[in-house]
Amino acid sequence: MTATPILRLRGIEKSFGPVQVLHDVAFDVHPGEVTALVGDNGAGKSTLVKCIGGIHPFDGGEYWFEGERVQVHSPRDAAAMGVEIVYQDLALCDNLDIVQNMFLGREKRRGLVLDDATMEEMAARTLEGLSVRTVKSIRQQVSSLSGGQRQTVAIAKAVLWNSKVVVLDEPTAALGVAQTAQVLELVRRLADNGLAVVLISHNMNDVFAVSDRIAALYLGRMAAQVKASDVTHSQIVELITSGRSGDLGLVHTNGATP
Amino acid sequence: MKAGPSQEEIRRHNLGTLLRHVHLGGSTSRAVLADRMGLNRSTILGLVSELSSAGLIREELPQDTGRAGRPSLVVRPESDRVYVLAFDVGVDRLAAARIGLGGVFLGRRETPWPRGGFDSGEVADVLAGFARQLMDTARDGTLCVGLGAAVRGLVRRSDGVVRSAAHIGWKEEEFGEDLTRRLGLGLPVSVENEANLGAVAEHLRGAGTGCQDLLYLHGDIGIGGGIIAGGQLLGGDGGYGGEIGHMVVNPRGGRPCGCGARGCLESEAGERALLQAARRDPSATGRDAVRAVVEAADRGDISARAALHDVGDWLGIAVGGLVNILNPRTVIFGGTLREVFLGSAAQIRSRINSHALGAAREHLRLRVGELGDDAVLVGAAELAFSEILVGPLETLARTGA
Repeated sequence: MTATPILRLRGIEKSFGPVQVLHDVAFDVHPGEVTALVGDNGAGKSTLVKCIGGIHPFDGGEYWFEGERVQVHSPRDAAAMGVEIVYQDLALCDNLDIVQNMFLGREKRRGLVLDDATMEEMAARTLEGLSVRTVKSIRQQVSSLSGGQRQTVAIAKAVLWNSKVVVLDEPTAALGVAQTAQVLELVRRLADNGLAVVLISHNMNDVFAVSDRIAALYLGRMAAQVKASDVTHSQIVELITSGRSGDLGLVHTNGATP
Repeated sequence: MKAGPSQEEIRRHNLGTLLRHVHLGGSTSRAVLADRMGLNRSTILGLVSELSSAGLIREELPQDTGRAGRPSLVVRPESDRVYVLAFDVGVDRLAAARIGLGGVFLGRRETPWPRGGFDSGEVADVLAGFARQLMDTARDGTLCVGLGAAVRGLVRRSDGVVRSAAHIGWKEEEFGEDLTRRLGLGLPVSVENEANLGAVAEHLRGAGTGCQDLLYLHGDIGIGGGIIAGGQLLGGDGGYGGEIGHMVVNPRGGRPCGCGARGCLESEAGERALLQAARRDPSATGRDAVRAVVEAADRGDISARAALHDVGDWLGIAVGGLVNILNPRTVIFGGTLREVFLGSAAQIRSRINSHALGAAREHLRLRVGELGDDAVLVGAAELAFSEILVGPLETLARTGA
């Protein structure tokens, strides 16, 4: 657990036309830790993640990465810094195999042809580094994989590029208990290997099982970002539903200050 | 008064330490070994050649390094040649494995066993049969260097007598001696509590690698506990320590426990409590029944959710108290508690966070076991290896290599 965040957002503002979605959001992500991002539907989790990943530009605020102020205008910019996002729909191609999916759009070439051997080796090494043993062959088509295996491939694809921050949007949402356990173990292993992981989840057991910090968004504002060893389940539920819990959370905007 | 250690003692210690590094770390280059052990290269060279002429390790070219230049040799354990036998007396299965130096599974045998009364002699017979089958598959020139067994009960450290094992109905069983005799290998069987061995296994090869202070909770029919403090297994005066499952958490309204007390963690949060609270068919027991409760809770079944909520509460209360006393870095949930933890982590964490002192819990990590159902066998193997890792050449001489 290190004190300096690898990714630091300050005063983030985002509107879609007249609809304000994020207001004055601060968010820190630390290497070697899992940071859970929680919030009700419409609290702004997905928008925040898309802003981090460069899909949406911020209207205002500061984006700091490894101690430097950066401008992120596209997913390519984010990927170049080492920020990878795994979206809920995973964006895998069913008709391609695991290796082809992991290198989709970023294929290795040798001269004019694809360098299959190198790609296969890199894919195998990445899966091995994540202790993934559930996949029989890396030349298997993605359509033949289970939900948990697909999630695993999508996560492996994200860490293949020496990424430093990996954001996972509801990775266990559609999975059964056994596959959820596998994915959670993988999430934990990523952080234990030194990556900064952001986990979006609605399941409080998943959140408390793997995360080191919990950030709660409430109506587009960051209600609180706390260490998982300092809060209870009911405090987090309160932060999600009312933006406030005891001393934690937002000061109400009726002019009163604590 | 004795002066410092003699040269012979230092050399013996170094041989054991080097073998332990290779046993736990796998293929390692001599340069890395020199660095880790704080010895110069020529000393390492001497130790390596001594151990390799004894047939415990060998030096070879590493698999493709992907780098240019002449690769340096790596030191590997002779996993195929030097092995131990590990035995696990479970509550509903008996298992044995042949495990090579370096922790490689070379073979295993397993049989289901009806829950309830176990006759110690019969168990020893079955396990000895497994041992013979496993040793028949070993090539000529291979060598068994130790025997270790895990039992769900209290084991006296001095002589390995199983004082009591309520779930299988044992009392004062000289199981280790019995199994030693039936095997007739000229090696004694070391016996140890199963959760203690699980703790050792996760500490050396699993979720607690590199962590010197950890708690291990193992769920099957009951709840076993193992404590590693300062890198050492905490056994207490007679070796009976670490029984986290028999920590009383609910003395007033609690359920009676098999040990005679009321409101032990095991009677409040063990398999039976979970299945009863979730209103499960009493005939269904074991890992699949526990998993079914967690799955039902995930689908929204309210009695399953309430049951996990209660069990999570008791586990959190117990762990919170232990965090104040022992200040572990890691708490590992193994056996069926792995599923239970994932299904009630919010409750467990919340209880720990409200019961344990801030400073004692601030760096606490909660993890599930990485070795799964193999943890106990891996631990039994480590117990069996312990002698050769202390005095490699002496142990070889004794086992007649």
